[in-house]
Amino acid sequence: MSAAQGMSAAPGGSLAAGPLLSVHGLTKHFPIRSGLLGRGSVVVRAVDGISFDVTEGETLGIVGESGCGKSTTARLLVDLITPDSGEIRLANRRLGADMTVRDLRRDVQMVFQDSYASLNPRLTMEDAIAFGPMINGMAERQATNLAHDLLSRVGLEPRRFAGRYPHELSGGQRQRVNIARALAFSPKVVILDEAVSALDKSVEAQVLNLLSDLKSELGLTYIFISHDLNVVRYMSDRVMVMYLGEVAEIGPVDSLYSNPAHPYTRALLAAMPSMDPDRRTEEAPLSGDPPNPINPPSGCRFHTRCAHAAPVCSSAIPNLSRLRAERHLAGCHMLVPGSGHPEAAAEARP
Amino acid sequence: MSTAMSTMMSTAMSEPLVDMRDVTVRFGGARPVHAVNGIDLRLNAGETLSILGESGSGKSVTLKTLLRILPEQRTAIGGTIRIAGVDVTALSGRALADHRGGVVSMIFQDPMLALDPVYTIGEQIAETVVRHEGVSRAEGMARALEMLTRVRIPSPERRLKSYPHEMSGGMRQRAMIALALVCRPKLLLADEPTTALDATVQIQILLLLRELQREFGMGMIFVTHDIGVAVEISDRVAVMYAGQFVETGAVRDIIRDPKHPYTRGLLAANLHGAHKGARLDAIPGAPPALDALPDGCPFAPRCPIAEAQCSEGLPPARVFGPQRQVRCLKA
Ligand SMILES: Nc1ncnc2c1ncn2[C@@H]1O[C@H](COP(=O)(O)OP(=O)(O)O)[C@@H](O)[C@H]1O
Ligand SMILES: Nc1ncnc2c1ncn2[C@@H]1O[C@H](COP(=O)(O)OP(=O)(O)O)[C@@H](O)[C@H]1O
Ligand code: SF4
Ligand code: SF4
Ligand SMILES: [Mg+2]
Ligand SMILES: [Mg+2]
Repeated sequence: MSAAQGMSAAPGGSLAAGPLLSVHGLTKHFPIRSGLLGRGSVVVRAVDGISFDVTEGETLGIVGESGCGKSTTARLLVDLITPDSGEIRLANRRLGADMTVRDLRRDVQMVFQDSYASLNPRLTMEDAIAFGPMINGMAERQATNLAHDLLSRVGLEPRRFAGRYPHELSGGQRQRVNIARALAFSPKVVILDEAVSALDKSVEAQVLNLLSDLKSELGLTYIFISHDLNVVRYMSDRVMVMYLGEVAEIGPVDSLYSNPAHPYTRALLAAMPSMDPDRRTEEAPLSGDPPNPINPPSGCRFHTRCAHAAPVCSSAIPNLSRLRAERHLAGCHMLVPGSGHPEAAAEARP
Repeated sequence: MSTAMSTMMSTAMSEPLVDMRDVTVRFGGARPVHAVNGIDLRLNAGETLSILGESGSGKSVTLKTLLRILPEQRTAIGGTIRIAGVDVTALSGRALADHRGGVVSMIFQDPMLALDPVYTIGEQIAETVVRHEGVSRAEGMARALEMLTRVRIPSPERRLKSYPHEMSGGMRQRAMIALALVCRPKLLLADEPTTALDATVQIQILLLLRELQREFGMGMIFVTHDIGVAVEISDRVAVMYAGQFVETGAVRDIIRDPKHPYTRGLLAANLHGAHKGARLDAIPGAPPALDALPDGCPFAPRCPIAEAQCSEGLPPARVFGPQRQVRCLKA
């Protein structure tokens, strides 16, 4: 599944019409020492040449089994780690060319799953929020006022919460503070990496409501990463499905959930628990655990688990191809006429 | 009375496999915790009940009470608990050792709570059989192999010799299930065993448990915070809040006609079929601290339809048909 053609902004298109965030051929491999094999180092192909766009004001969901590269993608987008190759553009400015890392880090903020680890145990909530803006040159008084504003915005009364330490808050309250802290930079994009996953369902619903409110009030753009496909469906405008460091499918949420084109997407959806006691799941869509991205399978990376795998699947890499719905793409040989897959149409359309 | 004899008696009197009446669990110490506050539960052999609730509601404590693994000195258990006709609260010595892992077995979210990192999977399972059934080591190993095959671990002969850290997450879960079931317990307690797994692996484990439960005819109590998991695994559900079962009933009835406001909130928060853009009907606030016994409905501070009378006393369990009870004045 190589880079998708035609996914980036139309050349010559106006700035407003182009995507807010655009990623092209993004790649990150982690070298790790392999004690077991004892032959020096091997490479984890955590993110392997992915491309996608995010339009201003939309929410892009990212799903896929653990280890498929969701968090690595997120960390690349905020430059917590440096890509091996590939391009990141924000509002048509390219990182490393006419955009600095500092610009990127201000405009793209991230909230993590572990609400506790993200906060310094020795800083009060007000200081935790004011810290970033002060480092960036804001006067203390102003930064404190900003912190109080943001605390009320995320539903924590400043009079009660400004002076508290992380251990004096519940998980849901800490995650509200982490959201406030991300907003202190007036970012354009907020990446939520399993940000509600550790919360209890009732608290999760409260935080999801907060995220929706903030998005419309502040005109934010979200990248929403979660393993919970119900939550991703509720939150996202478009969804990207990753498998072993690559994009398997990406498309508008309704189209992707009702007409999943990639066998992996179908398996993920079929693995969701049924909510109907009279139609419980009778067969697991996939067997075994997700493989790890060291030495990924040749050709289509999913071929070792795919019920439709054919000889062509292990020899040729499928490209992302366009489907009927607009902006819906998937990388599977079955979708490409003339690919040689027995379930694909025989001839390429004229 | 021997376990075998009590089993025979229980069948004769058609006593349920599990019979809990007004069970309370309180932890003493500087900050007392009223973790379980009067639960009633009957479960038959071959039946699966889910306990559904959020963190801190008392789910794990309920299971640990049944297995009798809570710290003796600091724990005060009230009410009566009978499993297979035996008074669990009175067990000690050899009978208690037989109870744990023999009559009742438990699986966990983290398989490393059950598996010992320094022994191979085969050694651990064999040792359990030797201890509970007094068979030879060779016989124990044979049973271990049979069980690993049964839980569909690939290349089971080789896996007998594996250490837990050499296995993937889903594989370790299967090994833990093999260990828990090798002595054919009458009751399996499952404490969120699939919570940390990918959904693609979770469904495999749920299907395996469903199959083993049917085949072995054991009773199962499955703790989860995920209503979808409860639907996949169980016949009945008990919704737990602040140490009480606020609603119990058949899965079908709970899903289609939730009567307690908390159950309704949990169902909405699952987001199944939620409409994008529509605001979520989120339950406000957080569960109560359990340092004191609630003197009114413990859900009142968060309840959208609470009235003054709700705080005046604990709502009694109101019966809405066989096996269907709701602790709400307005249900
Ligand atoms: N710093 C690192 N060093 C080595 N491997 C890493 C590192 N970070 C992530 N990985 C590996 O990269 C893969 C993708 O990880 P991650 O992006 O965290 O996946 P996800 O968030 O989808 O679960 C995994 O196999 C993970 O073990
Ligand atoms: N050994 C213990 N000593 C004191 N308090 C405990 C102990 N175990 C659990 N608790 C408390 O009992 C309450 C219920 O806990 P638990 O049953 O673990 O909840 P959950 O529903 O999340 O499984 C919590 O307030 C917890 O802190
Ligand atoms: S059919 Fe082939 S190309 Fe398509 S997902 Fe399966 S293995 Fe990959
Ligand atoms: S008893 Fe009252 S407060 Fe409690 S759940 Fe029912 S209506 Fe709400
Ligand atoms: Mg991750
Ligand atoms: Mg628990």
